[in-house]
Amino acid sequence: MDPKLINDCVHCGFCLPTCPTYTLWGEEMDSPRGRIHLMKQHVEGTPITPEMAGHFDACLGCMACVTACPSGVQYDRLIEQTRVEVEREHVRDPQERAVRGIVFSLFPYPRRLRLLRPGMRLAERMAPFLTRVHPGLGAMAALAPHVERRQRLPRVVRARGERRGVVGMLTGCVQGEFFPQVNAATARVLALEGCDVIIPPGQGCCGALSVHSGRDDQARRLARRTVRTFEQAGVDTVVVNAAGCGSSMKEYAELLGREPGFKVRDLSEFLTELGPVAKRHPLPLTVAYHDACHLAHAQGVRAQPRELLMGIPDLDLREIPESAICCGSAGTYNIFQPQAARDLGDRKAEMVGTTGAELLVSANPGCTMQIAAAMRRAGAEIRVAHTAQVLDASLRGVGL
Amino acid sequence: MLDTLVAGLRSLLPHDSVITDPVRLRTYECDGLTYHRATPGVVVLPGTAEQVARVVRLCNDFGVPFVARGSGTGLSGGALPREDGVLIVTSKMRRILEIDLDDHRAVVEPGVTNLAITEAVRDRGYYYAPDPSSQQVCSIGGNVAENSGGAHCLKYGFTVNHVEACEIVTPDGDLVTLDRMDPGYDLLGAFVGSEGTLGIATKITVRLSRAPQTVTTVLAAFESIEQGGQAVSAIIGAGIVPAAIEMMDALAIEAAEAAVACRYPEGAGAVLIVELDGPQAEVERQFAQLTEICSGAFELRVAADPAERAAIWKGRKSAFAAVGRISPAYIVQDGVVPRTSLPSVLAAIDRLSAEHGIRVANVFHAGDGNLHPLVLFDDAEPGAGERAEVVSGAILDLCIEHGGSITGEHGVGVDKSRYMPRMFSEADLDTMQLVRCAFDPRGLSNPGKVFPTPRLCGEAPGVRKGVHPLVESGKAEQF
Amino acid sequence: MLGSEVGSDAGVTVREAGADDAVSGVEPRWVALPETVEEIAAVLRACAERDLAVVPAGGGTKLHWAPPPERCDVLLDMCCMNEILEHAAGDLVVRAQAGVTMDALAAVLAGKGQELALDVPFAEDTTVGGTLAAATAGPRAFRYGIARDLLIGITVVLPDGTVARSGGRVVKNVAGYDLGKLFTGSYGTLGVIAEATFRLHPLAPDRRWVVAQLDRDELPPIAAALAASQAEPSAAEMDWADPGGPLTLAVLVEGGAAESRAEVVRGLVGRGSVTDAPPSWWGLISNDEVLVEVRFPATGTRAVLDAVAGTGLSLRGSALSGRVVLESWGAIGEPELAAAVSGLRERVEAAGGRVNVLACPYESVDRWGQVSGLPLMRRVKEQFDPGRRMSPGRFVGGI
Repeated sequence: MDPKLINDCVHCGFCLPTCPTYTLWGEEMDSPRGRIHLMKQHVEGTPITPEMAGHFDACLGCMACVTACPSGVQYDRLIEQTRVEVEREHVRDPQERAVRGIVFSLFPYPRRLRLLRPGMRLAERMAPFLTRVHPGLGAMAALAPHVERRQRLPRVVRARGERRGVVGMLTGCVQGEFFPQVNAATARVLALEGCDVIIPPGQGCCGALSVHSGRDDQARRLARRTVRTFEQAGVDTVVVNAAGCGSSMKEYAELLGREPGFKVRDLSEFLTELGPVAKRHPLPLTVAYHDACHLAHAQGVRAQPRELLMGIPDLDLREIPESAICCGSAGTYNIFQPQAARDLGDRKAEMVGTTGAELLVSANPGCTMQIAAAMRRAGAEIRVAHTAQVLDASLRGVGL
Repeated sequence: MLDTLVAGLRSLLPHDSVITDPVRLRTYECDGLTYHRATPGVVVLPGTAEQVARVVRLCNDFGVPFVARGSGTGLSGGALPREDGVLIVTSKMRRILEIDLDDHRAVVEPGVTNLAITEAVRDRGYYYAPDPSSQQVCSIGGNVAENSGGAHCLKYGFTVNHVEACEIVTPDGDLVTLDRMDPGYDLLGAFVGSEGTLGIATKITVRLSRAPQTVTTVLAAFESIEQGGQAVSAIIGAGIVPAAIEMMDALAIEAAEAAVACRYPEGAGAVLIVELDGPQAEVERQFAQLTEICSGAFELRVAADPAERAAIWKGRKSAFAAVGRISPAYIVQDGVVPRTSLPSVLAAIDRLSAEHGIRVANVFHAGDGNLHPLVLFDDAEPGAGERAEVVSGAILDLCIEHGGSITGEHGVGVDKSRYMPRMFSEADLDTMQLVRCAFDPRGLSNPGKVFPTPRLCGEAPGVRKGVHPLVESGKAEQF
Repeated sequence: MLGSEVGSDAGVTVREAGADDAVSGVEPRWVALPETVEEIAAVLRACAERDLAVVPAGGGTKLHWAPPPERCDVLLDMCCMNEILEHAAGDLVVRAQAGVTMDALAAVLAGKGQELALDVPFAEDTTVGGTLAAATAGPRAFRYGIARDLLIGITVVLPDGTVARSGGRVVKNVAGYDLGKLFTGSYGTLGVIAEATFRLHPLAPDRRWVVAQLDRDELPPIAAALAASQAEPSAAEMDWADPGGPLTLAVLVEGGAAESRAEVVRGLVGRGSVTDAPPSWWGLISNDEVLVEVRFPATGTRAVLDAVAGTGLSLRGSALSGRVVLESWGAIGEPELAAAVSGLRERVEAAGGRVNVLACPYESVDRWGQVSGLPLMRRVKEQFDPGRRMSPGRFVGGI
């Protein structure tokens, strides 16, 4: 933990209302300002106590505080450094260790995830049992999506019409395995807007989950492999449709100590920069757009997805109150902190409910899974889609 | 003794609402003013007024002091905890209990943030007028304690002008409602701004204001602070009462630029933000007058929509924290001078700054002469902190000399209590303490704040001799 | 005794009191006429030494409002404290001695195009100190607040002769407790208000009144529309001399564009004439032998009008800020008034309001009703005036 970064904090408290855990509990230790204070205590010699580690673990890493901070405190870097320190110094209780072990040996590895897919239906039925073993496992099972038939994407998707660019596309681990339809839609939208889309096979996890959990070595290993893959593919822009992956990949230079040979762009960011060409067909839908933290806060991408959605004829876009507050999904958070995640999900579901929207759109599958599950708990169904899928439907003139 | 008290507190409150873990306690050691720190003996987070009352009664049983805290954003150390006392944090009491637009009022718990009230009624065309710069985080309970102002109090007044009623827990632990409508002494007026020394507000009824028909925000860039100051005088002289007149000097602009890229005109020695609001026809007339008055500005920007208005305000609202970008440490002052003294006071601050080799950035509510000099220093440099303290104190002396005040909106707290005798006579302070004695004869409610020396209730004013009994018994600290 | 001692020691003019000096029927022994703050302090010190009770008086316009004092030895007549100490026009601030009359103050301020935006009744005679001590409100309270909202600094003299100040000469100031708020509306029971500093407003370049006759039932929705109107009226006063008949509503609009805004207001009212002068009754109290103040939230307007209609009292006051006063035109007997007040109080309190009897010649009428903060108020009184020598018995709960 870099004391210089800690000292940037002037204790003004502007971060408090944006912090999901402070919103839930109203306690200083579970606010960014409080956590920075705990970091300071540690730097000044206080060992990491279980209480302290608990407050760090409770941070969702949503980075809403980074957006809110007028002093430019790099909380994102601080919490990442802290997590590394916690992993190194703090001995977790055996059950917690076991769950973390399962997650980190599973999620970053698409092939291992693939083995899991047939078991999804089963997992759903086993959820109550798993909850008794560990609430985190139960949460994992309850969120399990209905996996669609896997679509194998070609290595290259050619541009339709005049070619305006060549881009690489990240397929991601969770996105690729559980939401193949989002990747397919992304590739189609890019092609319809005039891009050759290069999809290198054998891409793995970009390293995001590991970065966000303090697993430094694993993160660097995965990042290096991803950089190699896209550098070999020879693209100068890599388009990413998952918010968490995009934000991590944009920080590769810091993680690896060198600039990768390509730019990283979120899909919506890339498309608005490129400008629309393809015809938009009307989609008469009421849509609530949810800001994924890793898109809105980590990448500062807020206006672009809204602009794209508002560009679709007949689509009625609604704003969700408290849009800056995290839904509680936060990567692996709903597995490690199931209760807090659930409370935040319920809160978000209530806010989404007030919009009266029939479709919830977000750039992060974790968020939409989380919010849809919370809405189901409250007895309200809402359809979910990724921004790419909505655009895809409009561009192709098909329903959603 | 605290151990027995803690056992009592645990019986009154849910388990997780009583904090005793030392690592956790330390996160409450200061509010927005980090210069003063004290780890509280115990922290409680009550959820209801009744729980606050019970905690206060228990403190009375044990003769233990207590301090209330909202969001912990205060800039005078008003919520500085007591190591031998209980810190009562209201951040779990944040329900908006009632909104009644027909009566133009909302009833809220003390932990509700200032901005949350406005957000709850904005889409129906109402807002809560006082708007301290920290409005998205500061709590309404804290606003009541400090009588918070904000940029728009020039036209609309302070918290005290917008609070209709408060349910308070008195320092004895009684729940009492003070209502503006009630006959008798204006205890509500005395309570608002008493910085937690007369009790704890547990339910607050605020007045909601109708949003103005039109808001016009103008950013005027001047080559020098003097020109900006002349414009301010001219605006007031013309009989215009803008909703706000704010000024920032070059150094403050630099900080804001670094923090939020506010894109104020380049090369400005001062920028003035003037906001006119009200019925469209009035605003148009005043705007015409304003552009004429600001003809000396080298650039005049008018916000065309809410987004542009927000962009103009962004630099100003983030100015305090933004100074962190250009200086490792700083002291923010809150002095007030009569508006007409602004030019001479600013010139004197300039001289002080040069004399001590300490940079001072100026951000201020120019319309009401409320200065927020940010005294910058490097805490790693030996002696810099002390020099900054000297400059900071000298600025307050300037304010007093010019017939102003040592604090316009941040409160006295623990930070400025030592300056109180420069502004008020012993008789003035003793008289104020009579109010304290009426509410809190045992001196348990936020002791050590506001007044430089405690007064033992029942003692005749002006006959204090030797060491004060409260000081001797360790209940109070002499400054 | 006092006359010779204080008079010679401090040079304070003291005269024997006469029947004209009686305070609600209680005749003092002496009348002291201090000319400086120090002289007030000298008088109060002398009274403290001899346990003499003191009632401060300004223009005497409201002296008979409160109940008679338990005792009154010295009437402190503030008429000679009549200097406007400083009008800092550039700062929109004025500092005046307590004995300055509101009209005299207004004349000086108007000279610089400014005003103290409190239009209180009896302005010709009423003083700064009396206005504060009785916390009198005027029609424009809705826009500018009442005395406590415009007061920014005060100098008071405590019963033991201590001179204390709070606030200052700047509008924005949170240093120390606000004694000004505490003394405003304290009816002379805590000490003597010696000097006051106010924030001022520029005089409006133009003013218009929209005046219309309405039926009682029509008023509540119109009042609600006016309160919510972005045309921003400064005041809306009702005059309802005969609660059997219609009432008159006069709405004030101030500003350079008053003319066009008045038309908007007329649209809200539905009818009426636009004038550039106030109606003759604007902000006045005509008959204050019996005076009942009713305060209420906006939603209580209808209930208040209904309740007043049954009392036979006439009503005047704001349709926007929830404060009206009731007057009695004919003689009203003690039991009738007591019954009227208690009936009114029951209905008004049910609507979230309060009924305070400001002036009344009878002892048996409950002037204030229940007051939640009364124990604290007694403690405040005990601290400021432990000897109960300042206007004893003239305030809430016999304070």
